[in-house]
Amino acid sequence: MHTFIEVDHYQCPKGGHRMEGDVFLSRKNSTENRVISVLSDGLGSGVKAGVLSTLTATMAITCVAGDIPIERTAQIIHQTLPVCSERRIRYATFTIVDIGQNQEVRILEYDNPPYVLIRDGELVEVPKTVARLPSRYGRKTMIFVSSFVAQPGDRIVVFSDGVVQSGIGTQAMPLGWGNAGVRRFLRELVQRDLTISARELAQRVVQKSLWNDALEAKDDITCGVLYFRNPRRTLVLTGPPIAPERDKELASIFSVYKGKKIICGGTTATILSRELGKQIRVCLQNLDPEVPPPSEMDGADLVTEGILTLGKTAELLAGNLQGGIQAFSVKHAAHLLVEHLLNSDIVDFVVGTRINEAHQDPSMPMELEIRRNIVKRIAHLLEERYLKEVHIQFI
Amino acid sequence: MKPSKDAKNIHVVICSGTTCFLMGASELFGIEKTIEGSLASRITVEGSPCMNLCKGGSYGKAPFVRVNDTLISTATLPKVIEEIRRQASL
Repeated sequence: MHTFIEVDHYQCPKGGHRMEGDVFLSRKNSTENRVISVLSDGLGSGVKAGVLSTLTATMAITCVAGDIPIERTAQIIHQTLPVCSERRIRYATFTIVDIGQNQEVRILEYDNPPYVLIRDGELVEVPKTVARLPSRYGRKTMIFVSSFVAQPGDRIVVFSDGVVQSGIGTQAMPLGWGNAGVRRFLRELVQRDLTISARELAQRVVQKSLWNDALEAKDDITCGVLYFRNPRRTLVLTGPPIAPERDKELASIFSVYKGKKIICGGTTATILSRELGKQIRVCLQNLDPEVPPPSEMDGADLVTEGILTLGKTAELLAGNLQGGIQAFSVKHAAHLLVEHLLNSDIVDFVVGTRINEAHQDPSMPMELEIRRNIVKRIAHLLEERYLKEVHIQFI
Repeated sequence: MKPSKDAKNIHVVICSGTTCFLMGASELFGIEKTIEGSLASRITVEGSPCMNLCKGGSYGKAPFVRVNDTLISTATLPKVIEEIRRQASL
């Protein structure tokens, strides 16, 4: 079984700012089997820092993807960044994680806190070499380069100085949390929960930092995690098959699937309920005016209505999900679906292509999209934005 | 929520499929709060995945509600409450 790389991050802006000055960007190239992630921290905070770090991260990712040497990359970044009007310098840090074929990892670090590699619940020190760049390319010009071959279960954790310096000046930690403190915390967390996801680990680190800062961040706080894990799979069945003779085929796809199973669509659910002889109960708690209520069926992890829920799901995935779905106090079916999708690595959609003609009635108060198109949109978002592996099969 | 044996229970099933939901079923779920107290205790409200009645138009138009064995099409709160009252007075 191949190892899947789960990549996720979490962040929180410096108190008083609405935008983070740190950026965590990732790109996955499935054909090359390559994942590149960049954490960049721009000079200062707020929008200005955000621009610096976004520029840096975008250039870094593009250069690395194009196999441009690191010296040249640093030079390009330096020459492009605008000069800060107050400090008269141009500056943004970066950590680039480049994972190639056979899980070969190369990490380039410039002025961010050192990354942490967690293997079998223990922290592993990887030897680093120093690449010195001509001094005109930045304040300090030492780039640390390290490489190793990742093993299944490995986690690479990168974070900005907002994490390390959190709590600074408080009685509990006058000098801040510190690298040692962060490392101890990571080790304890992973040892307590050996399969903790990248999503959750990143969130926990940021929440702890924010807690250190008494809930008012003194700097932008960002943590990104790359986790080499056995893929978590989810099946999403949506829509009735084109011909009723294929209902049995749909039911058997559902029965034999190993992983989470989700049904999106009333007719689809009715077909499966009939074919598998299982009852469906609609949950009438927490009714939402926009999204129909979810249902329960034995053997399914989630049952929802189809088009409206999927439409809302696409909208949620396209929006800002920072903070996860926990941020919503009342969860409707689309929230539950998003949560399931983001907790998976591989999502298999099986899309029935029969059209419900009642949906095409011009007197409907809103336009109902064709199922295939919404699923394609969701698939695209999951692949590009959340680095998931998605398969779509039509039936 | 099993219907009790002594009081005649009225079973209300509201379709929550796409078409019905869009055409107003979402409001119908509030029926227990809308209907007079004496009847509220006698009804059980349940949702249903698509009942497959919206296709073809032979049953009328969405939203669909079943009050015991009576099917109501283009259901509204007043229409459903009226039917519940009718059955309650039988």
